[in-house]
Amino acid sequence: MTAKPSTRKPFLTYILPYLLVAPTLIFVLMFNVIPAIQTVHDSFYKPAVGLNAADKPPTFVGTQNYADLFDSSHYMGSRFLDTLSNTIVFTLATVFIGVPLGLLLAMLLNRKLGFMGLWRFAVFYPSLLPLIGAASIWAFIFSDSIGLANAVLRSIGLPGLNWLGDPNLVLMSVIIVNIWKQSGYFMIFFLAGLQNISKDIYEASSLDGATDYQQFFYLTLPLLRRTILFVLVISFTFAFQTVEQLQALGEGGPADSANLLLYLIFQNISERRSWGYVNAMSIILVGMLLIFTVTNFVFFERQEDN
Amino acid sequence: MPASSPTFMSRIATGLTVFIAFLFLIPLIFTVLVSFRPETEPVTNGNIFIGSEITTENYERAFAIAPWGRHYINSIIFVTGTLVVQIFTVTTAAYAFARMKFLGRNILLFIILLQLMIPTGVLLVQNFRVINSLGIFDTHIALMMPYWGSAFGVLLLRQTFREIPLDLEEAARIDGANLLQVIRNVYVPNAIPAYVAFALVSVSAHWNEFLWPFIITRSEEIRPLTVGLNKLIKTTDQGAFYGQLMAGTLLVIAPLVILFILFQRRFIESFAQSGIK
Repeated sequence: MTAKPSTRKPFLTYILPYLLVAPTLIFVLMFNVIPAIQTVHDSFYKPAVGLNAADKPPTFVGTQNYADLFDSSHYMGSRFLDTLSNTIVFTLATVFIGVPLGLLLAMLLNRKLGFMGLWRFAVFYPSLLPLIGAASIWAFIFSDSIGLANAVLRSIGLPGLNWLGDPNLVLMSVIIVNIWKQSGYFMIFFLAGLQNISKDIYEASSLDGATDYQQFFYLTLPLLRRTILFVLVISFTFAFQTVEQLQALGEGGPADSANLLLYLIFQNISERRSWGYVNAMSIILVGMLLIFTVTNFVFFERQEDN
Repeated sequence: MPASSPTFMSRIATGLTVFIAFLFLIPLIFTVLVSFRPETEPVTNGNIFIGSEITTENYERAFAIAPWGRHYINSIIFVTGTLVVQIFTVTTAAYAFARMKFLGRNILLFIILLQLMIPTGVLLVQNFRVINSLGIFDTHIALMMPYWGSAFGVLLLRQTFREIPLDLEEAARIDGANLLQVIRNVYVPNAIPAYVAFALVSVSAHWNEFLWPFIITRSEEIRPLTVGLNKLIKTTDQGAFYGQLMAGTLLVIAPLVILFILFQRRFIESFAQSGIK
């Protein structure tokens, strides 16, 4: 070997990994990390309003935007607090109904059964649909006068419900759609988990006289512990981000009775005077997501180490 | 387990499976039925399943409201343009993180993984500004660009690349292959299932994306199917023309549903890996 390549090569070898990583890194910095930092910064400012607002610098207001959001007498604060409590209800309902339903579906579909492709399709196809498409289907089902849900209720002599117009019902309607949409997705993680459990364990415990009930609580649940934790975490993080269905299911109304946080952000994005609040709300949303995704990340990395 | 003697419990389980499956299918079945039903005969009127005739007028009206052909092309450009770039960015980064030692490796990986904690869709305002400052508002590129870096893809492929025996790479090196040839001829061919999984998850996620395309595009020459469907929803709001809405919805969901029917097992396995998305 001549001297020339040996002096060039170390330099190339040195920068090569950075070149390989650079494209991904640049896009993640551009659209995730820097925007997040910028959002934190902007959440302490109020944009200028009025004439030539675009040319004027924003005003530093400290934590005023956050204080307004948590002030129920403030116009944006009352919207935010209603929406935050809806988001929490929506999330808890999705998680604590959708996840057990996903487990039940996985157990039902982990048996020997004819037409398995049909049953799997039936429970999984909703999670493939665009949220907005799923929502438009349900907009028809929930339609007041000509919808399917009311047609069924009326046919058994009950009065029809105003699924998307009654402030006490809209959030529930949105939750029903979300559970229908996501439990099939949760199901596949449980199905994968169940298929990893050796059949021998069940056979051995049957020989020892264990009942189905005992097998479920003393074998299945403990062995699925990791999967359950994992699905709980992703179901929480998903619930914070699934809001597009509101576009077809009442748009968060009436009076924000079914509004969700990311959708409230979306609704205010084009109003310049709300930008300070939009940024503060984004930070609160990212903060809530962080709690669950950090858990997810720690959990995932630990799983990978094994 | 012997299938010849179904126990009481297993019969209940079978019954429950069929019941839930049909409950879940009802929305899809009625979407199809209503899309072919005359608009003047809502399901509350007469036979709940099929109207007095089977008509395609709903599809004709849906076609008159939005340029579906254009939206189809736009959605295809969006998902393929996103995926093609992702495959390059993800592959090189995954190789570096799987097989190279370099200063700051863990820090750089951590920065990329931040994407899992701060999803692209959540930072609508700032990402809108980034696109504006690049001067590419309302372009195909603006739609795709935020997704060109994929932490999920990097994680998935790094894991796959690590499991490929080092001997294969060394053998190729001895034969004189350079780095790009090693990646192309050794790593990529041995990671095809992971690429398929990544492609299915990426394509279905972006096919279904709505908020970002809605905010970042204005003209119908760029807008994907979901935004076209939104227009139909807003038109339908005023008159409750559910027939045309269901027709339009079917146009949007059909490709993925058909793809899923064809590759069911693949899809389910791929999505099972997507939890870290």
